[in-house]
Parts: sequence; structure tokens; C-alpha cells
Amino acid sequence: MCVTVPSDNSVIKVQGLEKTFPGDVKAVDSVSFEVREGEVFGFLGPNGAGKTTTISILNTLMLPTGGRAEVLGSDVVTQASKVRKGIGLVPQDLTSDEELTGRENIELQSKLYHIPSVEAAKRADELLALVGLTDSQDRIVKTYSGGMKKRLEFATGLVHQPKILFLDEPTLGLDIQTRTSIWEHIRKLRSETNMTIFLTTHYLEEADGLCDRIAIIDHGKIIALDTPDGLKKAVGGDVIEVEVAECNTDILELVRSIKGVTLLEGKCSGNKARMKVPESNAALPLILESFWNKKIAVLNVAVKKPSLDQAFLEYTGRELRDEDKGTGGKQATAAAKKGRFGRRR
Amino acid sequence: MFSETFALVVRDLKRWYRTPGQIILVFTTPLMWLLLFGQAFNIGKLAQGAPGIDIREVFGGATDYFSFMAVGQTTFIILFGSLFSGVSLIWDRKTGFLSKLQVAPISRASIPVSRMLSTVVKSLLQAVVVLVLASLFVFIPGLSGLRFSPDFGILEALGISAFLILLGLSLAALFVALGLIVKNEETLFGMINLLNFPLMFTSSALIPIALMPSWLKTVAGYNPITFVVDGMRQLVFHTSVGAQYSIGVDLLGITIFAALMISLGAVLSRKALLRT
Repeated sequence: MCVTVPSDNSVIKVQGLEKTFPGDVKAVDSVSFEVREGEVFGFLGPNGAGKTTTISILNTLMLPTGGRAEVLGSDVVTQASKVRKGIGLVPQDLTSDEELTGRENIELQSKLYHIPSVEAAKRADELLALVGLTDSQDRIVKTYSGGMKKRLEFATGLVHQPKILFLDEPTLGLDIQTRTSIWEHIRKLRSETNMTIFLTTHYLEEADGLCDRIAIIDHGKIIALDTPDGLKKAVGGDVIEVEVAECNTDILELVRSIKGVTLLEGKCSGNKARMKVPESNAALPLILESFWNKKIAVLNVAVKKPSLDQAFLEYTGRELRDEDKGTGGKQATAAAKKGRFGRRR
Repeated sequence: MFSETFALVVRDLKRWYRTPGQIILVFTTPLMWLLLFGQAFNIGKLAQGAPGIDIREVFGGATDYFSFMAVGQTTFIILFGSLFSGVSLIWDRKTGFLSKLQVAPISRASIPVSRMLSTVVKSLLQAVVVLVLASLFVFIPGLSGLRFSPDFGILEALGISAFLILLGLSLAALFVALGLIVKNEETLFGMINLLNFPLMFTSSALIPIALMPSWLKTVAGYNPITFVVDGMRQLVFHTSVGAQYSIGVDLLGITIFAALMISLGAVLSRKALLRT
């Protein structure tokens, strides 16, 4: 997804942003970053990391307690009304009016953005088609499924053709189908318009698959900011897991002694030897060969290329889904492949 | 300012008339009140017992209690509608709809103002239903209806609308602001209950001032609802017999009350909608 190089023109500039809530709770702690025009920028972090607070400040819903933020060249504190004209928000919650029809919700939104009614009707048609709600546009939203409501929310946020679209946890709690369709919409916007998209998520694959750049945020601080590939590279190395009858330090010593294999890290977990090497393609045959020579029976082999969840683990010392357990870095990585890392709200 | 306010008023009204049973409630609630207070709770009989009293002196110009209370009834409709005007804002905050409005480039004032206007439209419609229903009571055998003066015309109709609109705006201004400040319905319902009955029963809406103990007479004399019903009765029955104040004083009283409440509501709403 990071094929296209976004222009250098920054549409969001954040300098030392801080938000301290009463009771000395620091939700955002001197955060600085820039978002370039036309890119998809992701805030990745567990619940309570400060993602929604940052979005609320950028959306002029909340005042920062320190630092400054500029959106489309306007200060979010002093020039809020200028900021509001250029941004669109698809909030975490379903905020459509349940008593109105889908179409009426979009048209109401048009009126809030002072779009003339002829133009509003045209855009409503287009957006309803885009999110596949044309057939149910005249039904009361109350009768919609969760996925339909979310798609309507998405359409509503686009009605005034914002320069920056903020998506707060766009696929939280959605079924796979709806999630995939939301992702498609985001990709479509990315490729067909010059809209900048700022999204928050605690789904690794969402950040990985959609974003040009990702900021990993934890405890209100940005701890890493790079392209998905850059973040993965920084983790350094592939992990080879070899299942044997009994893993012990001798086996790890054996691997360490192999010529041409640099063992960055090695440990036994159960009867698996977990070995981190800079590059697995060349190392794996050599390792297996030496095991063969020493008559060590290999029961199973797995290679883990660097993934964003590993990167997250590396930077924060814990996995995304361990957010409640503090620094629970020892949790098994097996479950991390399932695609859903966060806790449901 | 105007286009978004209008759009939000339309939204509120759509929500209102689409709620199942709402239209039935518009008719049944006043009907119940009219039957309960106007017919069962008939003070007229008590007053009639005393010889030498011009009944119109007691009943603010009306010749019977039912006509007297039917006019008072409209202020209740306004009172209840306005007291509950803020409740939906608490819901809008909970669902996130309010945030969506706050992110939009709209005048902040359009949020409380639209809610006040939709409340007034709704309760004014209901008040008209009360007056029409009350006058139709005459067709029910054994019951008497609301007897309008034969001189009642368009000007009088506009006059009573003005009284009801001013009362509605004043109370809605306050309760919409409270709906924006208070974050949960329980607190707001508590406040509503606190004001509800005192405002109702210390006014001359249901009970003639002449029949009140003297301390209550004093309180009722300053109740904004008293100004409204007093003025309305003079318009409906086309007489100043039994009036508490002159119609000009009534109008002035409710206008001052409205000015105070709207200013207070504006200050509170503004504060509630400020970013923190």
C-alpha cells in the first residue's frame, strides 16, 4: 500500500500536544507528528492509549492542555471554525439519527455543511450507491444492521467532501464482511481522490493493510512512526521455530556454532527452539542440516517473518491484546495470527 | 445560522411525529386532563353555592369552571413539553449525535435554539388541540364545553399564541440548557419534578386565585404561568372581569420572564457547549 509517495505538503502539524484530564490523567503526552496531504496515516495503539483524545483535539471537540496542532493550516484552538469546514469525522460510535431514514441522515448532514439541496441530493445518490445502501435509503436507520449503520456513518462523513477524513476505529466490532467492505472504501478513496485519511485502530492488519505511515501510540506517547515496512524492518530478523522432542541449551549452542548462521536470540519455549536470525531463507537449511547430522528429530518447523504485531511487541514490550496486563510480554504469539487483537469494548 | 437551525427543527419534528403512538398521545393526554380536572374535579359547584358572587369574578371571566380550567390546561401542555425539552439532548450526547453537530461548521447557538423552537411548535400544536377538544365537549350530553366569547377572532388567537410561545420559549431555554449541562437523565428528571408541581399549583391555571389562601395568592401573583393564563382568559372570554392584571401587565410580566430565562439559558448553553 505504500507505493505512492505522498506530497510533502503537511495538512496536519502537531507539536508537543498534551492533554491532561482532571485527576492528573495524562491521555496525550507531548505528541508530535505531521500528516502529509493525500496519505493514509494511522494511529495504532491499545484502547486508552490516547488515540480518540488526539482525534477529538484535532476535530475541535476538545482543547489541548499543552502544545499546538494545526489542521489545514489553521490552529485547532483559535481557528476552530476554519478547521471544521475542511474535515470530516466518522466517529467510533454509531451517531446517525435512528428515527430518520438513511437518506435523511445524509441530507441533514449536507444542510449542516450548507450544501445547496440540489447538489446535496446528487451527492446523497452517489454516496448511497458507494456504500451500497441505495435500496435501503428510505428505511428508518433503526431497522439497519450494524454493518449498514456503519456504512451510512461512512457516507455521512464524506458528504461535504472533506480534505481530511478522520476515521476513529472504523471497523471496531464489525463482522469480517463489513470490515472488508469498509477497507475497500478506504482504499478506493485513497486511489481515486486526494483526500487525506487519518485513522485510529487497534487492529494490526488494518494499520498494516491501509496505512502509508503508522504511529504506534502507547500511554499517550508516540513510540515509533514509520511506514509499515520500516516498522517491521526495525524489529530485525525472522523467527524460526523448530519443534523437537526436547529443547535444551545444547540445541541452541549447536545452532550458535553453525557457520553462516547468526543467532540473534535463542530460547526454548516448551519443546520448541525459538531462534531469531537476520534472514531465514539461508539459515533454515543450514540449521536443519546440522540437526539431521546430530540425529535430532525435527517434528515441526515454522518461520515467522517480521510482522507489525512483532513490531508492536518490540516497541511496547507487550502485545496489543495484553493492554490490561501491563507489561505482559511473555504471552504466546500464536493467537496473534487470528486477526483480532483488541478487546471488544 | 438559519438554515442549520431550520434543518435541526425539522429533524426534531420528524423524530416526534414518527414515534409510534405520539399522535394518539397528543389527543389522549389533554382529553384525560380535561375529563379529570374539568368534569370530575368541579370547583364550579362549590363556588356556585355562595350567593351574591359573580361567578365570573372567581373564574377569570369564565361563566363556568370547565371553561376556566380548559384555558389553564394549555399552559400545562406548554409547561410539560418545555420541561422535557432537554431530555433528548442527553440522548444526543450519549449517541454521539451532539459531537457530530459540534464538529460541523454550524453556529453553536443553533443547537439550543433549534431544540427550543421544535419544543414550542410541538406544544403549541398540542395547546390548540386542547382548546379545540375542550370546545367540542359541548356535544357530549351532560357536559359543558369551553365557551369562547363570540368576539373571539384572529387577533385574540394571535394574542394567546404569543402568550403560549413566550412561556414555552422561557421554560425551554432553561431546560434545553440544563439538558446540555447535565449528563444523565436521572438528574434532569429530578430537576423537572422539582419545578413541575410547584409551578403548576401555585398558578391560577387550575385553581382560581380568589379561592387560594392569602400566602398562596401572593406567590401565584408572581408565577409566570399566572400572567399567561390571566392574559389568555381575558382574550378568550373577551372581558376584564375577574382578571388579576390588565392584559398589558400580563404581557409585560411574561416578556420579562422570557427575557430573563432566555438570557440565562443562553449563558448556560454557551458554557455547556464550550470545549474543555
